[in-house]
Amino acid sequence: MRADLEEAKDERLAALAAGGDRGAFEALVTRHRQAVYRLCWSATGNADDADDAAQETFVRVYRSLPSYDPGRPFGPWLRKIAWNCGLTVRRDGNAGVPRVAEGDAPEAVDPAPGPEEAAAGNEERRRMEDALAALPAELRMVMVLRAVEGLSYAEIALTAGIPAGTVMSRLSRARTRLLAALGGSS
Amino acid sequence: MDCRETRSLLNAFHDGELPAADRARVEEHLRGCPKCGALLADLARADRAAGVPDPGPAYWDRFNARVMDRVEREADGPGVKVLRPKGGWMREQLRYLLPAAAAALVLVIVYYGGIRPGVPTPAVPPAAGERAAPDSAGERTAKAEPGPLAAKKSGGATAARRLPSPVLTEERSAAVPRVERDRLPARPSPAGNEEAPRERAPAAPAAAPSPPPMMSSKRSPDRQEWPGAGTGKVAAGSVAPPAGSPPVAAPEGTPPGMHAERMKMAGAADRVAEQQAAGKAKSASSPCDLARTLAEREQMRDAEAAQRACLAGDRNAPSREKGLVFLAELLDRQGRFSEADAVIAEIEKKYTQSRSLDLYLQQRPMVQKQPKAVPVTR
Repeated sequence: MRADLEEAKDERLAALAAGGDRGAFEALVTRHRQAVYRLCWSATGNADDADDAAQETFVRVYRSLPSYDPGRPFGPWLRKIAWNCGLTVRRDGNAGVPRVAEGDAPEAVDPAPGPEEAAAGNEERRRMEDALAALPAELRMVMVLRAVEGLSYAEIALTAGIPAGTVMSRLSRARTRLLAALGGSS
Repeated sequence: MDCRETRSLLNAFHDGELPAADRARVEEHLRGCPKCGALLADLARADRAAGVPDPGPAYWDRFNARVMDRVEREADGPGVKVLRPKGGWMREQLRYLLPAAAAALVLVIVYYGGIRPGVPTPAVPPAAGERAAPDSAGERTAKAEPGPLAAKKSGGATAARRLPSPVLTEERSAAVPRVERDRLPARPSPAGNEEAPRERAPAAPAAAPSPPPMMSSKRSPDRQEWPGAGTGKVAAGSVAPPAGSPPVAAPEGTPPGMHAERMKMAGAADRVAEQQAAGKAKSASSPCDLARTLAEREQMRDAEAAQRACLAGDRNAPSREKGLVFLAELLDRQGRFSEADAVIAEIEKKYTQSRSLDLYLQQRPMVQKQPKAVPVTR
C-alpha cells in the first residue's frame, strides 16, 4: 500500500476512491474489512454468509462512493451499509444457522494454538461462539457492536436505526441470554 | 439506591453510558453490595463471550483481491451501477444492437398504434398501455415483440426478439445463474440500502424514491444511483422507455400501480370498518379476532388495520403486549421491516423481558423470508 494512503483519513480515501483511485479504495477495504466481517457475522451467525455479506458490503460501498459526502464521517456510513447487507443476506439464507465452511468461506482459526491445555480453551471458546450464534440477530448485532467494536449506544442506535433506549434493553437481554447459555449466575 | 434500581442501571453503568451523578450512586451501592457486584462481573463475562470467530490469515490474504475482482466485474466505475450479462461478447452485441432493437420497437408500436386505423386493433398494444407503467419495461417489450407483422415488416424487429433488448437486460442478469459466492441480494434492504430503489424503479422520474437516510444529502443529480438515472448507459433504458418511443406507459396522472396501491390502502380501513360492523351485527366479534381472521386469509393490510383498531381499544397489558407483537409480524409480512422494528422497539420499551417478543424474534427471520405464510404469533 502506498505510504500516503496509510496515513490518510477515511474520508480522504473515500474521496480519492470516488475519483477512481483504486488504491485508495483498497486501502479502505484493508482498514475496515475485519470490522465489516464481524458485523456481517453478527447479522448472519455463520462464516459463510458473513463472507457473502462482507464482500457485498464493499462492492456496494464502491458503487455508492459518488453519493458519499466526505464532510460526514465514513465509519457510520460504512457500518450502515454493512448492517443492511448482513440483514439482506440473512433474509436470503438460513438465518443464524451455523454452517460448515466451504470453498472461499472462512474457517475459524484459533488465534493462539498452544499445547494440550489449549484444548479446554478451545472448547470454552466454541461454547461461547455457539451461545452467541444462538442469539436472535437483533440482539447479537447490538452485542457485537458494543462488546467487540466498543461503540457507544448512540453510535449503535445510528447504525441500527433504533432508539438508544432500545440498544440498552437489547444489550441487557443479550447478556442475560449469553450468561444463561454459558451457565451464568444472573 | 437499592438493589433494584442499581440493577436497572447496571448495563448502562457497565457500558459507561450513565451520567456522572447516577454513576456515583451506583458505585456507592456496589461498594456495599457483593450481589450486585457479582452481577456486574457477569456482564463483563458476557461481553467476553461475544467474540466473533476470526476467519484466519489465509482468508484475509484473499479478501481484497476478491472484492476488487467483483468491483471490476460488476461496475465500470464508482457509482455506475450497470446490470448486464457478464460475457464480453454479449456486452459488445448489446452496444450495437440495442439502438436497432429500440428503433424496431418504436416501429412496431407506431404501426399498431396509429398508422393503420382501419385494421382491427390487435390485442397487444392496449394491454401494454394498461400495464406498462408499474410493470417492468421488459414485460412491455416482450408483449410488443411477438406481433406477427413485426417479423415481416422489419429485420430489426426480428433482431429485437432474438437479441437482448435494453429493457430485458436487468431481468436477464437476474436470471443468469450466478457464479458461486457472487450472490447479490434479491430483496430490498431497509433504509440505507442503496439497492432498494432499483426494485421500486418507477416509470416516471417524478416518482423516484427518496434517498436512503444514510446517504449524503448532497447527492449530485448527475450521479447515478440506480439503473436509469442519467448516464444513458445500457441499463438506463431498463426503467424508462427507449428515447423517442411512443407513450406506451400509463395514462396521464398517477401511474397505475401507485394509484392501485393507494386505492387499496384507502379501501382497507373502510373494508375493516364494514367487516367490523358486519361482525358486530352477527356476533360479538372484536377487531382483534377480525385481525386474526384476515391474517389467516393473507389479507395482511386489512389485518393490520384491524389490529391497530384492536390495540386502540385494548388497555390490558398482557394482551396488548401480544397484540403489538402480532402487529410487528403483520408489518414484517408486508415487507415493512423498519416499521416493524419501530413496533418492536416500543414493545421492548414497555415490556421488558417480553416472552412473546422473544419467541417472535426467533421466528422473525423466517417470517421475513416467507411473508405469505400464516402468522405465527397467534
